[in-house]
Amino acid sequence: MNFSFPIITLLILTPVIGAITLSLTKSDQINKKTILLAGLWISIGEFLLSLLLPVFYDKSKNGYQFIEFHTWFEQFDINYYVGVDGISIPLILLTTFLIPICLLCSWNSIKKRVKEYVIYFLLLESFIIGVFVSIDIVIFYVFFESVLIPMFLIIGIWGGENRVYASFKFFLYTLAGSVLMLLAIIYILITVQTGNIDIIKNFNFDESIQLVLFLCFFASFAVKVPMFPFHTWLPDAHVQAPTSGSVILAGVLLKLGGYGFLRLSIPFFDFASIYFQPFIFTLSCIAITYTSIVALRQEDMKKMIAYSSVAHMGFVTIGLFTLTQDGVNGGYFQMISHGLVSAALFLIVGVVYERKHSRSIADYSGLANTMPKYSAFFMLFMLASVGLPGTSGFVGEFLVILSTIKISIYLTIFTAVGVVVGAAYMLLLYKNINFGQVNNNLKEMKDLNFIEISYFTIISIMVVVLGIYPKLLLKLVDASISLSVLS
Amino acid sequence: MINLSFYLPEIFILSLIIISLLIGLYYKNSNTILLGLNFIGLILISLFYAFSPESFLGGENSMIALSKIIILISTAIYILMIKKSLDLDSIYRFEFLLFVLFAILGSFVLISSDNFLTAFIGIEIQSLSLYLMASFNTKSLSSNEAGVKYFSLGALSSGFLLFGISMVYFDNSSIQFSEINKITYFSEIGLAIIAISLFFKVAAAPFHIWTPDVYEGSPTISVLFFATIPKLASLVFLFRFYNELNIKDYDSIDFIFKIVCILSLLIGAYGAITQKVIKRLLAFSSINHVGFILISIISFKFLSEGTFFFYLIIYLVTSFGVFSILISLRADKEEITLISQFSGLKTYSRSKSIALLILLFSLAGIPPFAGFFAKFFVLNAAINEGYIFISTIAVVTSVIAAFYYLRIIKNMFFDEPDSKIKVKSMFYNNITYISSATFVTLFAIYPDPLIFLINSYFN
Repeated sequence: MNFSFPIITLLILTPVIGAITLSLTKSDQINKKTILLAGLWISIGEFLLSLLLPVFYDKSKNGYQFIEFHTWFEQFDINYYVGVDGISIPLILLTTFLIPICLLCSWNSIKKRVKEYVIYFLLLESFIIGVFVSIDIVIFYVFFESVLIPMFLIIGIWGGENRVYASFKFFLYTLAGSVLMLLAIIYILITVQTGNIDIIKNFNFDESIQLVLFLCFFASFAVKVPMFPFHTWLPDAHVQAPTSGSVILAGVLLKLGGYGFLRLSIPFFDFASIYFQPFIFTLSCIAITYTSIVALRQEDMKKMIAYSSVAHMGFVTIGLFTLTQDGVNGGYFQMISHGLVSAALFLIVGVVYERKHSRSIADYSGLANTMPKYSAFFMLFMLASVGLPGTSGFVGEFLVILSTIKISIYLTIFTAVGVVVGAAYMLLLYKNINFGQVNNNLKEMKDLNFIEISYFTIISIMVVVLGIYPKLLLKLVDASISLSVLS
Repeated sequence: MINLSFYLPEIFILSLIIISLLIGLYYKNSNTILLGLNFIGLILISLFYAFSPESFLGGENSMIALSKIIILISTAIYILMIKKSLDLDSIYRFEFLLFVLFAILGSFVLISSDNFLTAFIGIEIQSLSLYLMASFNTKSLSSNEAGVKYFSLGALSSGFLLFGISMVYFDNSSIQFSEINKITYFSEIGLAIIAISLFFKVAAAPFHIWTPDVYEGSPTISVLFFATIPKLASLVFLFRFYNELNIKDYDSIDFIFKIVCILSLLIGAYGAITQKVIKRLLAFSSINHVGFILISIISFKFLSEGTFFFYLIIYLVTSFGVFSILISLRADKEEITLISQFSGLKTYSRSKSIALLILLFSLAGIPPFAGFFAKFFVLNAAINEGYIFISTIAVVTSVIAAFYYLRIIKNMFFDEPDSKIKVKSMFYNNITYISSATFVTLFAIYPDPLIFLINSYFN
C-alpha cells in the first residue's frame, strides 16, 4: 500500500513539538495540573497516531513499510531512512502506550518542576520511537544514545535519596557499552560503504571480524538488556528512579537491548551468533537462576522487581539466540509481556510508596484487608509475572522453554528451574504485603483512586488478551522475524 | 616581484591596529566606537576573503582561506563581548582590543607561512599578546601569576622552536617547507623539537602543564580567546606541518604524534576528574579535545581536511557558548570559580542552565548534539586509516570525560541552590550562547549548511 503521508516522521516529531511548545510557556502562570494534562493529551494523541501503524500495515507484504528517505550526510551514505516492520510496530505501540501511563501515575507524586518533567518524558518518547523505526545504523545509534539524556535527568532530578549515584551509574555504564558499538558501526560503515541495515544484512563479514564486531555490539546491548555480569546498574537505577521512571525503564528501555540483538546483531553476524550461542545461553541461565535467588532475599520491593526483570530478560536473550522461529517468537513475546507486566508491578509498588513513602517489604502487611482492589490487581500482575497460563507471561516463557529442548535438555532444566524460583519470590512478596495482620499505621491506607484503577484496568486487559489470544501479536511479528532475523 | 594584494588582509588588520591605537590614545571615551569599528572591519575582511576570486589571494590554498575566515568571524563576535565582560571586574582598557588584534595578526602570519622563520614570527606575535591578555587583570595576583607562568614556559618553547629550526636548517640549508626533504637523524631531531614546541602551543599532553594554571588565573574572557582562536591557528599550522613536510615518512616523529595524541586523550580525561575549579576542568577538557583533533591530523588521507575543520568549528562554537555563559555568572563581586558554585543554577537562570546542559553534552559527544558528529567523523577517519587502538582509547576517554561533564550538570540540575549566584544579563554574551546552543542542537536535524561550507572549500 502506498502511503505518502509521513507518518513516522510525525510520530518522532509530535512529542518534540509538544515539548518545545510546553517549554515556551511561562511556568509560574500555569497550573501544574494543566501542564501534566497538556502532556497527557499530547502523548495520548501520539498513541492514537501510532495506532495507525498496525491498521495500515500490510501483513501480506514483507520488509519495511511507511518508508521515508532523506539524505543526511551524503559522502558517507548515511541517510535519514526510517520505516517499520512487524518487529518494530508492537514495540512502538508499547512505548506510546506506556508514556501516558507514566504521566498519569505521577499525577500526585511529582510536585516540583512539573513542566520539565513532562518535557523530558516527551523527548524520551520521541527518541525511543526513533530507535525502533530507524533502518540506518547511524541514526539508530544516535537515537539509542540520545535516550540516555532525558532518562539521566529523570532519575537525577526526581529520584530518591541516592539518585545522583544511580543516575551516574546508569549513564556511564550504558555509555561505556555503547561506544564500543560506535566503533563497530564505523567499521561497518567503512567496509560496507553504507549505513543501510538491509544491505549490511546481506554483506558477508569475515568470520574472525564477525566475532569482534559481535562482541562490540554485544557490549552495548548486554548492558541495556541487562545480561548477567552487566546488570548491576539496573537495581540502583530502578530503586532510585521515580515510579514513572521505573515504568519506562523496565517497560521500554530494556527492550532497546533486545531489539538491538534482534535487529542488528543476529542478522548481521550469522556466524558469530551461532558461535557465541553457548556463551549467551550460559550468561542467561546464570541471570535467570542467580538473580532469581538474589530477588528472594531482597527487602526492598523495587529492588526485588528489578532483579526479577533481569531474570525475565534472561528468557528473552535465550529465546532470541535459539535462532529458531519458535524461540525468537517466544523471546519477542516475552519482551512485550515483560514490558507490560513489570511496568504494572512498578506501578503497584508506586501506589503504596506514594501513600507510605516506604519501599521496604517489612513495612507492609495485610493490605488485602484495607486495599482489596489493590491486592486484586497485584494478584493478577504477580501471576502474570510468574507465568500463569492465561496471562501474557506464560506464552513467552512457554515458547522459549519449548524451543530450548531441541538445543539442550540442560538449558531447559535451568530455565524451568528459573520459572519455579521466580514463582517463589513473587508469591512471597505477595504474601508478605497482602496477607497477615494489618499494621496499625496501615489502617488509614486508601484504596486505589479512579486514575489508578483506570490504568491498571487497561494494562490488565492487555495482559489477559495477549495471554488468551497470543496470535494477535504473533501473526504480526511472525513473518518479519522469519524474513529479517532468521533468513 | 612581491604582489601586495596577497597580503591585503594582514595589511588591513595592521591598519586597523594602528587606527585603533591612535583613536584609543587620543579619545578617551571612544571605546564603543572603537569596538564597533573593529567589528565592522573584521567582518569586511572576512567577506572580502569569502567572495574574492582565488587568483587574487595568490598561492593560498583553500584551507588557509577557510581558517582565516573562521578566525575573522569568531574574533568579530569575540570583540563584541570583551567590553562588558571586562567591565564586570572594572578592568577594561582599550589595549585589550589591540592585543586581540595583534594575536590574530600573528595567527594569520602563522597560518599562511611557508617557511619556519615566518612561522616563528607569527607564533611570537601571537604569543606575546596572549601573555599580556593572561595578566590583564593587574589587580589580581593569580592573573599576574598566570601571565608570568605562561610567559616563562612560552619563552622556553619558543627557544625550542628556534633550536629545532636551526637544526633543520643545518641539514637542509633551507627553512622553506618545500625544500625540507632529507630524512636524516639531524633533521628528524630538529623536526621533532619543532613539533614539541607546537604541541606546547596547542596544549597537548605531556606539554600541557601550563594550561590549567593559566586558565585558572586569567580573566575568563581571555581564556575564551586562548581556548579557541589562537589554538585554532596553531592547530591549522600543525596540520600543515604534518602534511606538507610528510611527517608520515619520519617514523619516529609520526610515533611521537601518536604518543602525544594518546596522552592528550588520557590526561585530558583523567586530569579533570578530581578538579574542583571549573576553569581547570575546562582546561583538561580542551586537552582531551586536542587529542581528538590530533587524531584527525594523523589520519589525514580520508577526507581529513573536512573532518579536521568540522571538529574545529564545532569545538569553537561550543567553547564560545560555554565560556560566554561562564563569564556572565558571578558570585558576589568575583567570578564563579568552583564547580560546586553551580549548585541550583537551574533556579537562577533557566535558559543559561539548559544551554549549558546542551553544550556540555555536546562536548561530551552524546548524540543528538553536534559534538557527537564531530567525534564520529574523526573516528571514521581514524578507523579508515587503521588506527583501531587509538580510536578505542578515544572512545574510552570520552566515557570518562562524560563523567566530569555530568558532574557540572548534576550541580546545575540535581542539587538545591546553596550559594548565591548573580546572573548578569549581557546582550552579546546572551546572543552568543543562545546561537551556539541552537547551532549545536539543530545541527543533527539540518547539517547541510556546515557541510556545504566545508565541501565548498575542499572539493
